[in-house]
Amino acid sequence: MQRIRKLAREIEISNIFGDFLTKPVRYILLALCLILIIFPFYWLFSCSIKLKQDFLAFPPVFVPVRITLEHFKAIFENQNIILNFYNSLVIALVTTVISVLVGSMAAYAVCKGELSNRIRNICAFWFLIQKMYPAIATAIPIYLVMRNLHLIDTKTALIIMNTSFNLPLVIWLMIGFFNEVPVSLEESAMLDGCNLWQRFFKLILPITKPGLIAAGILTFVATWNEFLFAVILSVRQAKTLPVVIAGFITDRGLEWGQMAAASAIIIVPVIILVWLAQKDFVNGLMMGAVKE
Amino acid sequence: MKKVLINNKFITWLFLLPTILFLALTAFIPLLYSLWLSFFNLKINMPYLTPRFVGLTNYVRMFGDEIFVRSTINTVIFAVTSVLFEITLGVILAMMISGESKRERVIRAVLMVPMIMAPVAAGTMWRMLLDSSTGVVNYLGVLVGLPKIGWLGNPILAFVSVIIVNVWQVVPWTAIVVISGLKGIPQDIIHSALVDGASPWRIFWKIVLPQIKPILVVVFLIRFIDAFKVFDTIYVMTGGGPGMATEMLPNYIFNQGLNYFDASYAAALAISFIVVMSLISSLFINAKSRKEAKNI
Repeated sequence: MQRIRKLAREIEISNIFGDFLTKPVRYILLALCLILIIFPFYWLFSCSIKLKQDFLAFPPVFVPVRITLEHFKAIFENQNIILNFYNSLVIALVTTVISVLVGSMAAYAVCKGELSNRIRNICAFWFLIQKMYPAIATAIPIYLVMRNLHLIDTKTALIIMNTSFNLPLVIWLMIGFFNEVPVSLEESAMLDGCNLWQRFFKLILPITKPGLIAAGILTFVATWNEFLFAVILSVRQAKTLPVVIAGFITDRGLEWGQMAAASAIIIVPVIILVWLAQKDFVNGLMMGAVKE
Repeated sequence: MKKVLINNKFITWLFLLPTILFLALTAFIPLLYSLWLSFFNLKINMPYLTPRFVGLTNYVRMFGDEIFVRSTINTVIFAVTSVLFEITLGVILAMMISGESKRERVIRAVLMVPMIMAPVAAGTMWRMLLDSSTGVVNYLGVLVGLPKIGWLGNPILAFVSVIIVNVWQVVPWTAIVVISGLKGIPQDIIHSALVDGASPWRIFWKIVLPQIKPILVVVFLIRFIDAFKVFDTIYVMTGGGPGMATEMLPNYIFNQGLNYFDASYAAALAISFIVVMSLISSLFINAKSRKEAKNI
């Protein structure tokens, strides 16, 4: 019964618009949206396998007949893209693990811990502010400190900074998920004599797994794409993929083909990841926005 | 029982401590350091000189700094315009694909791609599309009889271009969040309105919009703050040019600090950036809560 009602509701809402836009208009609009989204990607991928002389062709070559892998070959040879890919991957993975673990612990403490209300509110407020404040504001001091610690151009520095940006996000997301855990469940565990630690690791973490996955994916994607601190703190050894892509523009003229190839390399992993865990990802997005 | 309580208190702090330490060391103290720096004179390329106290000089300098004023105005215009477009288009899109049919689910999946893409990659991609000689956008323009345009070479068009890229990346996100709001609308209201013979337009304005308004306000705030922090797109698309046309505060701070090595001036800019941002956001929040108070 409930399912039928749910179905009916969804039909209603999506039909309202269909009604006053009339079906053809709605289809045209949707088709336009899809073209606007898909075509740029198609263009990017096709450019990455296009011959150099085809770039200047007029009209543009929409379907590359002559295919080449020279751009990919070039970035593998001159750019050391494997190292950059490895850097991006290690930084994103380590950041994700640390942020999700540390962040969900803090979120649980804020939700269910033995805290006075005042401290609870101060913590919650601080973490929220932290989520909004602009990273650029600390860029200069962080650069100076990292230089003094000889951490410039290390993955450690980037892992530290990315964890700092993502912790507040994870905390806010997980607070939402923890609040949805039925109180009775925790009470019965408490009666069984479980302390906070046991309840968190044995009871709560397993049942909030979708939340952890959502937080993890959001953290991974944000870190994988992070550019500001990557460009400030890396010189050679710790360069990540976004820095390499931006580098094509500033210091070697415009190498369209290589730029497209590198962009393709940066996009594909996150598309696969998000595609695999689509439901949890969308869930996370909604929680993150709605539960504030 | 008493023992369990103490125990739990200890564990609570054990859980909180890593986060507190981490955020204090990587965010809060650096921010204070920024504040301190802004009253001194420190050049990044001369680390062995002792910083000299200069009082408010850095702050006074800002008011005579044409690029600072210009980039502040640019940032505000950029943020407001992009967010308005993002919300309007996001709501329209959400209304069209909020259903659960297979087609709509596929569309929603496709929508996800722009928003998970690195802004750096999105910027370069659009730079290719908008390029004056090889870009596809100009080709389409020529087809309908427009002259070839140097999108990123013209001050106004460059500004429009960075807004377009930002909107292109964010509209899917807004749409998905709005859809979650649409699903929360009790269907009985819409049902009875339909029974009463209300037109879809009326239903949209009188029922749907008021119902999703709280979500729209949150979306507005989140996006506004995010748009204020725009950096990557500008960095790869225009570098702030042509001239100062697309210079935004984050990019200006970055340039002052790391390209011109003026750490103290950059710190002063960063502090004022935070002040401007929090002032504007608190204005919005204030307006919102005053409205709510009125409604009650």
